[in-house]
Amino acid sequence: MTAMLLKMQMGWGETLKTSIVGLLVVIAILAVIAVLILLISKIMGAATKAFSKKKPETEPVKETAAPPAAKPAGRELPETESQGTLQLENVDEPTAAVIMAIVSNQSGIPLNRLAFKSIKLIEEK
Amino acid sequence: MSIVEVLTGLWESSGFGALASGAASWRNLVMILVSFVFLYLAIGKKFEPLLLVPIAFGILLANLPGSEIMLDSIGLSDPATMQAVESGVMEAGHWYDSGVLRLLYVGVKSSIFPCLIFMGVGAMTDFGPLLSNPVSLLLGAAAQLGIYVAFIIAIVLGFAPEEAASIAIIGGADGPTAIFLTSKLASHLLAPIAVAAYSYMALIPIIQPPIMRALTTEKERKVKMTQLRKVTKVEKIIFPVVVLVITAFILPSVIPLLGMLMLGNLFKECMVTDRLSDTAQNALMNIVTIMLGVCVGATADGDTFLTAKTLKIVALGLIAFMFSTVGGVLLGKLLYVLTKGKVNPLIGAAGVSAVPMAARVAQKVGSKDDPTNFLLMHAMGPNVAGVIGSAVAAGYLLSLFG
Repeated sequence: MTAMLLKMQMGWGETLKTSIVGLLVVIAILAVIAVLILLISKIMGAATKAFSKKKPETEPVKETAAPPAAKPAGRELPETESQGTLQLENVDEPTAAVIMAIVSNQSGIPLNRLAFKSIKLIEEK
Repeated sequence: MSIVEVLTGLWESSGFGALASGAASWRNLVMILVSFVFLYLAIGKKFEPLLLVPIAFGILLANLPGSEIMLDSIGLSDPATMQAVESGVMEAGHWYDSGVLRLLYVGVKSSIFPCLIFMGVGAMTDFGPLLSNPVSLLLGAAAQLGIYVAFIIAIVLGFAPEEAASIAIIGGADGPTAIFLTSKLASHLLAPIAVAAYSYMALIPIIQPPIMRALTTEKERKVKMTQLRKVTKVEKIIFPVVVLVITAFILPSVIPLLGMLMLGNLFKECMVTDRLSDTAQNALMNIVTIMLGVCVGATADGDTFLTAKTLKIVALGLIAFMFSTVGGVLLGKLLYVLTKGKVNPLIGAAGVSAVPMAARVAQKVGSKDDPTNFLLMHAMGPNVAGVIGSAVAAGYLLSLFG
């Protein structure tokens, strides 16, 4: 089997063609998926809008709605800063920053409307 | 029986006796040393320990003199022998006389293990960042460039097309995909390809940053991307089904990998199969990882592994990884220009699968220039797109050479 495989070879032109077509196939399929995602999000957006217009009174609290956050005291904070003072325990600043960014992203609440009190390492592996 | 005869018998059956008689060679000893190095890298340096420990131990088990752990009594690893046994031309032992790892190896050879791993990966993957920024998919596609560059070079170096395709898929930075394709196209190269794929995945934090810095300016690296939109649960549930159906209609050969990936993801997202999702991403994943790792390691027998071919595969794997990073970053730069500076090109490098290590590297490189820049979630989009991209690339190569 191995010997048989080893006898098979490809010419330059065929090799280049295989590679270029291969890359284009991957790009094309992933581009189609990207377009589909856009379509789905548009349809979902339109459906959600239509649904919320129909039943405004009976609509429960939205899953994605951000909880009310305290108004920042003094100056308006930029989007890259959180409120209050954060206490770090056995956690370095870059790690804490990443955790804060993830919380902000997952909750859909901008960083400047969140207040972190403390981040501590509970188990050292 | 005299004492001398007993001692002689003991000597002959020992590992030292096997070495002296030539049943085991110096190559096996070198492989034992290689397994020690891998164990050190996994335990001491924490390089992909969950995979490298089983792989290293598999190498150790298969190369111990006198080891019959990969003994093949009925031609499980050789279709010609199996056919001869089945047709009665050749007499063979029972299947249960084979070595224990040879029996487990059936899971690799039949692609059961890589597909189950993909199900676990799907159950652990959050496609949210990808759904909120679909352009990420293009970055995941561009980061497959290394696969095709390595394919060309492998052909030039004299590899057969099936071998070249298997070697090239290392550039997808996806271990299960590499094992899946190699077991179908060139199973005799499984050990070096799997070892190279997993080794380079572990070395991503060393390989990628210099390339990322060389290809980008400080201004580009400092780009802060806008917050991603919140993705609804319905979108997350629809996504795996739609992607699978569309992709399968275009490229059916991708169904085993992508199908299992999306099944695992549906378990996670549909909210009514929590127990299945938990099993897929924890217990099952861990069990299959152990068996896959040990079996792949055990195929690295000294006589077949220590060849010039292995060195070529290792070199080609590195080239594939580097060009995949280049492809992702270059498309990132293009998007930076097209969006007038809204896309940070560093996230393109995360398109090389290797979830989530490649995304973490993008975050780390970006935060070096600006510690307040959080690219992790933005890089997760291309990162999971890379998983789909490498599966599609494998499907394409399989449809051509399978």
